[in-house]
Amino acid sequence: MTREGAAVLAGLMALWQVLASAGVLPGYLVSPAVIAREFGALARSGELFQHSAVSLYRSLAGLALGAGLGVGLGLLAGVSRRVGGFFEPLVSLTYPVPKVAFLPVLLVWFGISDTSKILLIALSCFYPSYIAAMYGVRAVDPLWIWAAQNMGARPRRVFLGVVVPAASVHIFGGLRVSLALAFILMLASELIGSSDRLGLGFLIITADAGGRFDMMFASILAIAILGFGADRLLLWVRRRLLAGYVVMEDSAHG
Amino acid sequence: MASALRRILGWLFRAVPVVLALAVWEGIARSGTVNPRLFPHLAAIAEQLVFLASSHQLGLHLGASMTRVVVGFGAAVLVGVPLGIVMSRVALFGRVVEPVFSFGYPVPRIALYPIAVFLFGIGHLSKVVLVALECLYPIAIHTYYGVRGVNRLYIWSAQNMGASRAQVVLKVMAPAAAPHVFSGFRIALPIAFIITVLTEMVSSTEGLGWLILYSSASLMQARVFAAVVIVAVIGFVMDRLLAVLRNRLIFWEKEAVLVAIR
Repeated sequence: MTREGAAVLAGLMALWQVLASAGVLPGYLVSPAVIAREFGALARSGELFQHSAVSLYRSLAGLALGAGLGVGLGLLAGVSRRVGGFFEPLVSLTYPVPKVAFLPVLLVWFGISDTSKILLIALSCFYPSYIAAMYGVRAVDPLWIWAAQNMGARPRRVFLGVVVPAASVHIFGGLRVSLALAFILMLASELIGSSDRLGLGFLIITADAGGRFDMMFASILAIAILGFGADRLLLWVRRRLLAGYVVMEDSAHG
Repeated sequence: MASALRRILGWLFRAVPVVLALAVWEGIARSGTVNPRLFPHLAAIAEQLVFLASSHQLGLHLGASMTRVVVGFGAAVLVGVPLGIVMSRVALFGRVVEPVFSFGYPVPRIALYPIAVFLFGIGHLSKVVLVALECLYPIAIHTYYGVRGVNRLYIWSAQNMGASRAQVVLKVMAPAAAPHVFSGFRIALPIAFIITVLTEMVSSTEGLGWLILYSSASLMQARVFAAVVIVAVIGFVMDRLLAVLRNRLIFWEKEAVLVAIR
């Protein structure tokens, strides 16, 4: 973060605090100090971690399922024209569809359970991972493959030693989009309902209904920290794994 | 003649997986292992589609949803493009707003929806604000990278040939940045639709998201699927329209593959 940015951020927080203490702001915009106190109280009582753990489990399980399947099938579709050709019409037809529309369908089929949430997240995470992996494989420089083949590498070795590493820059781009999606849909599905009364989205909607704005902002803060932390973790893993690769600046992410 | 035949055959071949998927659906629905109320036949879904299309309901919900998508997306374009341009041209401003983008990007903005409802009410405005907020990120970021990435040689050569400031901006920088700006649009438009449907599901009294959730709560699964089909078709058509528009306007450069939130 730039120094100017940090200064502006701190200034805005201070302004918010002053305005809230002066009583100028409406009641639902509680001051940062009150939010911080509630955040601390939720953390001390362990509630915060309980809700966060459930939310994290849902988003990561969905991400693992959807992205795992997406990367696997995407690699296959990139290598084999036949597999790619079979899935291409299905994917291009369903890709622009907002997957969140399927949430009520899944709710009826699987109940307001973890299953319906995880399946929705998996469905959404599948597409970016699949497309990134497929195009990642197709974009591999054929010279590298020929070079490996020329040196006597078997197809398996070419795939694991050349194609997958070369495609991994793209794959990580897809994973990063999938990660952001996993958090959005986790929250969305929890806002609509949680049968076990757990999850940060559920905490937000309960606090909202009860007029506990301090608790609402504290849970929003928790989600922001989780989302930000998960994104940074993924970038760190990518840096470690792809050390030595030229990684383009991520501008292609929504 | 032969090429036309080949094209028709190509289309038929592409239709095979889709027909296969529909056949699998119908097979499951007819197998008797699932409750047809929960897993309706294709015919029942088609019947509901016709019902929705012929009733006044569809126009109402479609109108509400499309208003939110278009106004929210339009507001994001009007704010995001100038914001991205200023961020890339004025270094100090770029550094000042940078944390909004580097910290704000991975945070799900949908968490702010309950606050938006408090601030702007349960009607159009809260949804439009959230749609605009979500769309602002891809549009501003892509514009920023697009303008920043304009090859300086192009600008220098234009200046060298005596181009005025306005000419440099209009004839050199705008066309050079346009593909990136449009990438931002193509990422943002599906997001606008997702957020609209989503916020309508969380709290609303009209719109396609509300229609889906309401039909589902009434256990009219066939109507839910009919509404999902409508949402799917609109999402698809909007994406295609934007793609066609992009290829018309930016005919000199092929579009890069976009991996984005949809």
